[in-house]
Amino acid sequence: MFEFIKKSRGILGMNSRNLEYIRPYNRACAKKLADNKLLSKKILKKNDIAVPALIAQIKTLEDLDIFDWQSLPDSFVLKPNRGFGGEGIVVIYGRKKNRSDAWIKADGSIVTIDDLKNHTRNILDGSYSLSGIPDIAFFEERLKLLKLFKPYAFKGIPDIRIIVFNKMPIMAMLRLPTKESRGKANLAQGAIGVGIDLASGVTTTAVLGKQKIIEYIPGTRLLLSGIRIPYWMDILTLAVRSQEISNLGFLGVDIAIDKERGPVILELNARPGLAIQVANLDGLKGRLKKAVGIKIKTLKKGIRVGMDLFGGEIEEELEEISGKKVIGTVEKVKLIGKDGKEIEVEAKIDTGADWSSIDNELAKKIGFTETIEEFEKLKMPYEKLKNLDKEKRWEIYKNIPDIASTIPVKSSNGYTYRPMINVEFIMDSIIVSTKITVIDRSHMQYSMIIGKVNLKKFLIDISK
Amino acid sequence: MNETSFSMSPILTFFLNTGVPFETIKLILMLPIIATFIAFLRQVVGIKAFGIYTPLLITFAFLATNGIKYGIAIFIIIILIGMLMRIALKSFRLLYLPRVAIMLTIVALFILIMLAFSGSLKRTGLASVSIFPILIMITLVEKFIAVQIEKGDRAAIFLASETLVISILGFYLASWEALIHFIIFYPWIILLTIPLNIVLGKWTGLRLNEYLRFGEIIKKS
Repeated sequence: MFEFIKKSRGILGMNSRNLEYIRPYNRACAKKLADNKLLSKKILKKNDIAVPALIAQIKTLEDLDIFDWQSLPDSFVLKPNRGFGGEGIVVIYGRKKNRSDAWIKADGSIVTIDDLKNHTRNILDGSYSLSGIPDIAFFEERLKLLKLFKPYAFKGIPDIRIIVFNKMPIMAMLRLPTKESRGKANLAQGAIGVGIDLASGVTTTAVLGKQKIIEYIPGTRLLLSGIRIPYWMDILTLAVRSQEISNLGFLGVDIAIDKERGPVILELNARPGLAIQVANLDGLKGRLKKAVGIKIKTLKKGIRVGMDLFGGEIEEELEEISGKKVIGTVEKVKLIGKDGKEIEVEAKIDTGADWSSIDNELAKKIGFTETIEEFEKLKMPYEKLKNLDKEKRWEIYKNIPDIASTIPVKSSNGYTYRPMINVEFIMDSIIVSTKITVIDRSHMQYSMIIGKVNLKKFLIDISK
Repeated sequence: MNETSFSMSPILTFFLNTGVPFETIKLILMLPIIATFIAFLRQVVGIKAFGIYTPLLITFAFLATNGIKYGIAIFIIIILIGMLMRIALKSFRLLYLPRVAIMLTIVALFILIMLAFSGSLKRTGLASVSIFPILIMITLVEKFIAVQIEKGDRAAIFLASETLVISILGFYLASWEALIHFIIFYPWIILLTIPLNIVLGKWTGLRLNEYLRFGEIIKKS
């Protein structure tokens, strides 16, 4: 029991969030800015921060009466200015064919001008605003879904929530809309939250709704961990910049990635929710306590320190998460050649080389003696070969037993063509089946090098 | 219940002698205690309900109805009608206040029918419930609809159940003989709720339900 309470100390609860973070760090005027979407949009834009473009706004019932609905583009989003938790937002995907007064919503249902008018009236009435006060409705550009996210997101657009404190990114999560959340990226409504490693921008653990820990998108085999968020540095920069601009000391920034425009800020949040902790399986309070005393002078340093302090500690976990093995610059490799002949060698990992290669003698040891001897016998000069096209060249070599192809290789005495053979090798328990170049490495320290084509399943740690 | 059998603080005797009804004094003294109790449930246990005002009023409505079972019955009927009417009115797409007004009308009618019905069955308990507690409970409809719109059906039902639980607990707390004796004898102890609330207001620990909510994180660390 005592242990349990001690362990929970790193978690940020509601009481502490309100009393120790929101109250002292988020001034009333800064909170007002965050709660007013139009105002925060305007101020962010003034500071050259990318935000979804504003199409039009309706402030009063008179505005509503004279509003020209035909002036709206084919796709747009209708939002309440002071809405929260994603309520009251209507996403329009396109115009209904053959009708001038109707559009199609995210779920395929039809929305008429009358529906939109009614919804706008409800917004103006304050049905979706924080305390029921009269509100403004506005139309903004609909962001386009990034290809990467397509299989993961149901209907809506995923966004990335980042907690910023003391000019540092503290914690981040990717929010994926689901069928249950009706296309909204809101965890309270049943969206998926996926934790993100701050240092790498790669997703880690995931939660469905408020509490259920999951590994895959429900009903699919889509793994939620190991997704690399594109534009990661830009996203962190945007997040910290928006804290500087908004003056919210304890800030939750929502950033979406548009297919064409890249990362844009959707919303600033003065009262960020606590579910991000479950998505990351880590407490916020522990991180906030670490961050509080550090003096951050520049934006770059804030991001750097945040990434170092709160990300990247998960090196061993990285293998699990990314599905990639972490290897050093020299690795033991078990080479499997013709007729299952095996030999274990030390190979040099060389990201400068496109293909992997082995020494002539090594190739012979694993059963390709005949191949190499036949190849050498032909003694074709490079000058002659280089002018031939692929088919002609292959015509010369195709009768050599077990040859897979040929490849030009640069060595100390100019270019030569070298044979390639099909082998399999096992490195760090992963089996790689590949074409490999056979060259003369007798004067080199390692009889095998592993090049880029065979390194896709590995991450290299130069200090290992 | 024979009031004179209580041992009583001299201040209260003074009040009674000036003609303030005992029941009124009792309820007023109970109010800060119930309020503190609700604050405690929110800050330490994590039961949210519909804020502090609604569960407080419902508690007192329960105290004023003849026996808690009628109170609970009226509460549940109001919530059920709220849910049904939302479905029924959905296709009309009405604005907020007219929608609430319609719901209030239906709830009022329904309660009227219920009162008449129970009267005809000679179940006078319900029919003799005074009108103010019923009116207080009807205002619950607005709270319920507001949450329904903002956070959806599930959240509204959840918060309504929490409100019901708090109100029932509050009812039993306020009907607890020993507590009543105590505050009648030491009415000034209600002042103790102020420092108690200062402590609650500075409480930054996890709420009990947050230990549950974040259980996975605690397990993992």
